[in-house]
Amino acid sequence: MRAFKPVAAGFCAIFALGLGIWTASEWYAPAALPPIESGVLLPEPRPVAGFSLTDQDGRAFTNAQLRNRWSLLFAGFTHCPDVCPTTLSLMKLLEQRLQAEDRALSMVFLSVDPERDTPQQLHKYVRYFSPNLTGATGPVEELERLCASLGIAYVKVPGATADDYTIDHSAALVLLNPQGKVAGYFQAPYKLDSLAADLARIIPKT
Amino acid sequence: MKFSAAAALFISLPAAACPGLELSDGWIREAPPGAAVMAAYARLRNAGPAPLSVEKVRSAEFGAAELHRTVVENGISRMLHGQILHLPPGASTALEPGGWHLMLFRPARPLKAGDEVAITLECGEAVQSFPFTVRNKSE
Repeated sequence: MRAFKPVAAGFCAIFALGLGIWTASEWYAPAALPPIESGVLLPEPRPVAGFSLTDQDGRAFTNAQLRNRWSLLFAGFTHCPDVCPTTLSLMKLLEQRLQAEDRALSMVFLSVDPERDTPQQLHKYVRYFSPNLTGATGPVEELERLCASLGIAYVKVPGATADDYTIDHSAALVLLNPQGKVAGYFQAPYKLDSLAADLARIIPKT
Repeated sequence: MKFSAAAALFISLPAAACPGLELSDGWIREAPPGAAVMAAYARLRNAGPAPLSVEKVRSAEFGAAELHRTVVENGISRMLHGQILHLPPGASTALEPGGWHLMLFRPARPLKAGDEVAITLECGEAVQSFPFTVRNKSE
């Protein structure tokens, strides 16, 4: 009996240590995300550089607004008649699908055209699509840093007049995790069903 | 005198319609309030015996209209201007979101879902107007 005690204590210690390591790994290492069909997930989520923008109501929009929630971000501009309204309409439908399943996804429209897209203009634009869609823009240097960090590109293309320019921009939807890091990308052309199925695999029910 | 009579006659004559051009399901995506640009889509078919080229578009309802094409190259969405849409005899093509579209600048009045708008397509010397319906369409 005396000889047994240290052995039992040793087993208990090893078990406790193992349990601790397992618990820590579950808590601190994000569970591997399932494969998706309409985009790519990064093997390791990528941090986003610090940025400071303004939303459609004139409030600060920074890294803090990307934390504690899953977010889907699309970069465009309101003078874009084809791809932007098409993608934002799709995001609106996607939001409705996920809401019906009690999955929370924050939608962000990042305007890369701060010259023409004032917060007032952005407000009218995003509210047309959804009461929950956030519109954000800001100084060119902030946008450039954020876009580089998000892995998306845009370039201004001159038009016939100074006001008549257009902007080539990434067609991707950027998925950000609740740590505010880039988790992956969805690529155009988008299909509502597969996007909704992919996001349902990733975003837990609330 | 002769010249002005001929000119007057020429001016008063309606331009010939684009021979064989058929347009169906013409629609304009309803835009958020105050939007400076809109896009129109349709199905086009050349039912005639000769090739057709749609080179320009216009509408009294808009400050300007252009034929554009969106392309996605290396993940970047780009808009190509000054495009000419060639339709060989018997060919049909779709102007659809993310591809060929009519870009409509500066609407003369707020357009709501259900409104009807005429847009004129120019094929060389010939022109033809078609009805487009404003729709609130997702996808």
